[in-house]
This record gives sequence, structure tokens and C-alpha cells, in this order.
Amino acid sequence: MSELAGVEVGTELPPITVTLTRASLVRYAGASGDFNPIHYSDHFARALGLETCIAHGMLTMGTALRVVTDWCGDPARVLSYGVRFAKPVPVPDDAEGASVTFAGRVTKVSDAVATVTIDALCGEEKVLAAATAEVALA
Amino acid sequence: MRAIEERTGFSFPPTAPYSVTAGKIREFAAALGDANPRFAGEDAVAPPTFAAVLAADAWDGLFTDPELDLQLKRTIHYDQKFAYARPLRAGDVVTATLTIEKVRVRGNTAFITVSVALATVAGEHLCTATSTLLHTWEDES
Repeated sequence: MSELAGVEVGTELPPITVTLTRASLVRYAGASGDFNPIHYSDHFARALGLETCIAHGMLTMGTALRVVTDWCGDPARVLSYGVRFAKPVPVPDDAEGASVTFAGRVTKVSDAVATVTIDALCGEEKVLAAATAEVALA
Repeated sequence: MRAIEERTGFSFPPTAPYSVTAGKIREFAAALGDANPRFAGEDAVAPPTFAAVLAADAWDGLFTDPELDLQLKRTIHYDQKFAYARPLRAGDVVTATLTIEKVRVRGNTAFITVSVALATVAGEHLCTATSTLLHTWEDES
């Protein structure tokens, strides 16, 4: 891997905004094998006290990491990645779905490893907490 | 005391080997809307969070063990961490071994921390996926 140059604390990663629709959830269910019905059926979502279906936490987590891999290019640079699922992402059964914006910034650089902290916002809600990835710079 | 508390430190047997394929990687990357070229082609690497697909296979051990009295539908994924030795690649044949790391029970809820070690069948360590699961038992009152 070539060196990722000029990375310092405070470096901002280009943000991305993603629309999640029911089709996104069905597609992720099939690709991941996570067929929990709260991700595609309002009936089962309401049975758990939710207003509507929610996105798979792992879909939100996986999408958020695109901020890092789009920036650093090679996903093999990702040494670690962790999040807490702070709030669900409700995905209504309509044409608009849910819009989630992901942003990242470098919060630590040490021994050729950058720590990136990711923010994930759905409307006003922070849907991920303590979302950080360690990226190999060299 | 709940049965799960007495099993802290316990490791389940490894899951049946899973063959990572270029087609599955492409399907998973598409589901993330991720067009990174490293996820395409015969020598593709998997998106880092693909490790969760294999880890979830190992979670089944928790939910199918009759002694533990745990149900997936009563479980919330609270947090998730991955530590990678290298990316999963097309051609890897991988097993997942789950260890119950920590259990905190309060009333009818439990925070259960499990780690899942992913390794090739040749014994190469690939990734550790650590999760906290929040489980709620039905109210007994």
C-alpha cells in the first residue's frame, strides 16, 4: 500500500448522504442473511413498539464506513471499526425512505495509524455513537 | 442466577466452514451501495462489515442452546466492534468461534458481550468481532 500523505488531527473526510428505502432493507436482509422481520414488516415492527420498520444496525454501520473507505481507497487499510447503535433509523414505506448523512474527521494519528471518528445523522438524531475506525496510513 | 451468567468464558465449537465467494462479496457490497473497485472481480476483498455475516452464524449457538433461554427476537444489537488481521477475501474458507466474554444481568434484562473469532480452516486468524447484545426475558411477574 502506498502512503496516505498529509493526514493530521482535524483532517475532514468528505461526507456522504445516503437514502435508505424499504428496498435497501430487503436487499441488505438478503445479502446479509439477517431476516429479522422488524426490518421489512410494519406488523412485526409495531409488535415491538416501533412506529415503522427500522434499518438493520449493521446496514447503517456498513454504510457509515464508506466515508472512510471512499477516502482512503483501499478497505484493507481498515484495522478496526466499532460503533454503538444509539438510535434506530426508521424507514417508512414510501418513495422517500430515510436520509442519513455520514461525516468523518481524523481525531488521532499515532504510529502511522489514523483514528477516524464518524458522525451519522438521520434528521436531528445521532444514530451511531462512539463510531471510530483505525486506518493504516502506510 | 441466569444460566448465561454461569457460562461466562465459555466457547462454543466453531461453526461449519463458510466459503467466501466473489459473487457473495459483490452482492453484499451492492447492498451497502458501495462501488469500491476492491469489492469486484475474482480477487475481491469483502467489505469490512461482511465479517458480521459470519459472526451472526456463530450467534446462532446462543439462541439454539436450550439451557441459555435466549431468543433472537428479544435481542437488540447494542454495540459492535471489529479488529482485523486482514480483509476477508474470495476463496477464504472461514469458521467462527463464539466466546461468552461478559454478562451483566439486571432484573429481566442482560447485557451479553460475546466475541467471535474468525479464522481460515488452515488456522489463520482473520478478525475478532465483539458484540454487546441486550436481551430481555419476558416479564415473569
